[in-house]
Amino acid sequence: MRMPSWIQVERRSSISPWTIFAISISAIVLALLLAGLLFRLFGVSPIRAYGDIIRGALGSKLGITETIRRMIPLLVIGVGLTVAFRALFWNIGAEGQLLVGTVAATGVALFSGIPEILMIPAMFIAGFAAGALWGMGPAYLKVKLGINDVITTLLLNYVAIALVEWLVYGPWKGPTQRGFAYTDRFSAAASLPVIAGTRIHWPTLAIGVFAAILLFVLVKRTRVGFEIRVVGENPDAAKYSGISQTKITLLAMMISGGLAGVAGVGEVAGIHHMLLSPEQISLGYGYTAIIVAWLARRNPLAAILTSFLFGVIMRGGDVIKVSLGLPFELVDVFNGVILFMLIGSELFIRYRVRIGARREVA
Amino acid sequence: MSWESWVIETISRALAFGTPLLLATVGEIYAERSGVLNLGVEGMMLMGALTGFAISMGSGNPWLGILIAGLVGGAFSLVHAFASITLRANQVVSGLALTMLGTGLSGVIGRAYEGFPLWSKLGRIDVPVLSSIPVLGPALFENQSPMTYIAIGIAVLGWLVLFKTRMGISIRAVGEDPATADSLGIRVPLVRYLCVMVGGVLAGFAGAYWSVAYRTAWSGGMTAGLGWIVIALTIFAFWNPLYGLVGAFFFAAMRVLSFRLQAWLPPELLKAMPYLLAILVLIIVSRGTLQKRMGAPSALTLPYTRGED
Amino acid sequence: MNKRVVIAAMLILALVGGVVAAYEPGEDLKVGFIYVGPIGDFGWTYSHNEGREDVEALPFASTVIVESVAEGQEGPVIDDLIALHGCNVILTTSFGFMDGTLDAALRYPDVFFGHASGFKRAPNMMSYMGDFYQVYYLNGLIAGALTETNKVAYVGAFPIPEVKRHMNAYALGVKAANPDAEVHVKWIYSWFDPGAATEATNALIADGCDVFAFTEDSPTVVQVAAENEMLSFGHYGSQMYQFAPDYVVSGQAIDWGKIYVDFLTKIYEGTYTTSNLQHIDYWWLMTQGAVFPEAAPGVPINPLYIDDLKAYMIDDPTFGMISAYDLHNIRLAQFSDPGVTFDPFQGPISDRNGNEVVRAGFWLSVDSLITMEWAFENIVGPWPNEPE
Repeated sequence: MRMPSWIQVERRSSISPWTIFAISISAIVLALLLAGLLFRLFGVSPIRAYGDIIRGALGSKLGITETIRRMIPLLVIGVGLTVAFRALFWNIGAEGQLLVGTVAATGVALFSGIPEILMIPAMFIAGFAAGALWGMGPAYLKVKLGINDVITTLLLNYVAIALVEWLVYGPWKGPTQRGFAYTDRFSAAASLPVIAGTRIHWPTLAIGVFAAILLFVLVKRTRVGFEIRVVGENPDAAKYSGISQTKITLLAMMISGGLAGVAGVGEVAGIHHMLLSPEQISLGYGYTAIIVAWLARRNPLAAILTSFLFGVIMRGGDVIKVSLGLPFELVDVFNGVILFMLIGSELFIRYRVRIGARREVA
Repeated sequence: MSWESWVIETISRALAFGTPLLLATVGEIYAERSGVLNLGVEGMMLMGALTGFAISMGSGNPWLGILIAGLVGGAFSLVHAFASITLRANQVVSGLALTMLGTGLSGVIGRAYEGFPLWSKLGRIDVPVLSSIPVLGPALFENQSPMTYIAIGIAVLGWLVLFKTRMGISIRAVGEDPATADSLGIRVPLVRYLCVMVGGVLAGFAGAYWSVAYRTAWSGGMTAGLGWIVIALTIFAFWNPLYGLVGAFFFAAMRVLSFRLQAWLPPELLKAMPYLLAILVLIIVSRGTLQKRMGAPSALTLPYTRGED
Repeated sequence: MNKRVVIAAMLILALVGGVVAAYEPGEDLKVGFIYVGPIGDFGWTYSHNEGREDVEALPFASTVIVESVAEGQEGPVIDDLIALHGCNVILTTSFGFMDGTLDAALRYPDVFFGHASGFKRAPNMMSYMGDFYQVYYLNGLIAGALTETNKVAYVGAFPIPEVKRHMNAYALGVKAANPDAEVHVKWIYSWFDPGAATEATNALIADGCDVFAFTEDSPTVVQVAAENEMLSFGHYGSQMYQFAPDYVVSGQAIDWGKIYVDFLTKIYEGTYTTSNLQHIDYWWLMTQGAVFPEAAPGVPINPLYIDDLKAYMIDDPTFGMISAYDLHNIRLAQFSDPGVTFDPFQGPISDRNGNEVVRAGFWLSVDSLITMEWAFENIVGPWPNEPE
């Protein structure tokens, strides 16, 4: 990279989590300042806007519980993605894996006739299996045929969207919905319990937190975790040390796709209680979770923190839409600006940048 | 209705609908050939569509609108170029962010332009002489937007540059093996910047075509997913502008036909088809020599730093 | 401060925040509108927002809006509207908001709720809908009279009962004016997709159609038809007229404000309370002035076409030989009459598979109207979920 001579860039050999944290926070602060200008342009005081966001997302019972509800799918998907990214598999297909999870859960809820007591576990298992299969297809194509994972996973999202549309407009359209494109409502047995007085469907949240801990242990403390890291960091070394790249990639995508499917189960069984038009189900969770996992630096435990951060951002966007009546697209702009600042901060995390006269470095 | 009019109508409409797909696909081919995946096509197209509409309305000149839309698309793509080339950021994340930003910005700014018809739109032309050829004339040369022929010209030119010139060799080298290209004296970051910008300019043209020639009105999110079809088309075209020409018009024809064949084919299948076909194509060409000749650029999505990795 | 005091204080705050004082007639109303799309959508949401402006003009009411709310997310938005703005009336405008609105109605027994296009209600939640089917019948009369190819077109969004009802009413109007004409149908499977609407329109032009009606939230069909010098009917009011002033013949307009002002005034006067809305279901049509045909603002039929309509003679079973223009205006008067003396779905009517769907001498119930799946006999084209 060419840089003016007064800027010195060198690769960091190691970096403490606190430095990463500090750099990321600075990036967010900078993004908030920049977005503040935007609010100004709309005649809204940035202080008022940020006050509303903080109060709305963290300052009341409604705010905190809604932030957590928004965080759930990001956490569940994000945790799984950290594992896929560790194996250097770029899973952009969580959106589609989430959607096939909703399809599987809906199939079980409406058409399986499973005893009520087994209903919820069966829905989660079916959702996991569907998401895992949807994710393992591209994994297989990558390891066996060398086909680019970014592209196949992305393309399959659109196939999943078409699948859900076909079902809700066609064979699964609910007789009780007066011709509108929704399936019938799930029975009470197929609906997830919520924490009283909130909309937090806690089983999904519990799965997310549990998965974060479990996968952290798996990645850091087990043989399989070691193999995943080797495949991701040094595929050649993996080959020579007899690690099966096929097995590891398929495993990583089973976990990642499966968890995205579980997030889908949470959305239909915990929020909608029916299958409906795909763009109403997901709200881009599959894409936002990529950023969650990437920000967590592929650490499953850190995904709890980063998904919470994005829960705050999403909830904050909802709040200022109501409190300040801002156009909804502004939320997209706001997120875009924050993202680019965070992307920019990557440089400072991986490299040490010094401004000043040229100085010899030992 | 006679079979001739079916053929004529389908081809003629496929040209109109395929024009923005072709423009943006050729642009994305350049970006990806140099090793940079840009998932921000939808965002860049929307920025182009708004710019094209606003400038055409303000100036009364649709060509000026299209031109400036290209410049805005190019400038907008620099955000992605800077993030993914200079900052070596994750291209997927950066591209997604670009789409978010483009959709949001064009939506916010575009509110002032919603609800106005565009009178200074880009008209359609009949190509003299050629349009009087039977069947082919009306199918290809009658009542078409001049942008369609410009898009075809750009695709052919794009192919010539990419495969028949020294510059094209450099671009492909950068996308296949940047370290070797670097050692041969090719300025890897410069080539990548230029290619991403070509992608931005062409996506800007594509968006402007949508709002000043095809649709002649602005509304937020009006490209309705065209940018993602472009991502699939780029693969379907094996990263070759000439195949892009075939692919863009083939998909456009399928889309046009889908309204004719509605009684027999489920619409969701037709919606999913470009994506399924692209995956199928990838599988078919994944074997041996074909993979090398027709597969994805080897360094796609990989940032390059001299002396590293 | 010890922990218990803090918790107690928080609980009190939460309680105070969540409780809205019961409404007393004569108090000001704060009305929250929840839209499923953007205001600039040129259709459904735009028209609701126009109705909201009538509410804003009431001396005792003010409004707050939230646009582009995804279905399933209405619950927290309602909570926010009540907590942040103190709304005592909430109006939600998408079928998919129905369950969330009902749930909120149970949680906030002192807040008034209204839900558009659904069928669930509560003591403090009414349902409402303004429907275009009579207007489409009037448009159909005009289309049947003005078509030169005997093929008129309809570009439909989704094959759901609402759109099918409108197509059938349109087709019945076409038939009344021109027994030889066909209604050709294409679906675009989206509420908003200018590309699909363009190609569907072009496909219909290629089939020989020359007059266009549609359901899509953009003026695309109007523009494409005009480029080919063909006629169209504006959807959702006169805002589409300016896109093709010479070619928009008439169109469907809705004034949600009529329903909103009536509902809110009755709350203000004490007629409606939070315990008597269980059976309040507005199904407002032309009689109430909620819907009406409109080409340009205040102009039901584009004057450019009035002479043609006066010259076109129809042999009507009731009125004998009568011009299309006169028949249109008689039907318009009958729909608008407080007694309503005519309905498009007046038996006997058979579907295109030969089933009798409305018996002689009967009109369809609202329930049959909103669950309609059959296709009228002059309709040509695919028709998902069609009864055998």
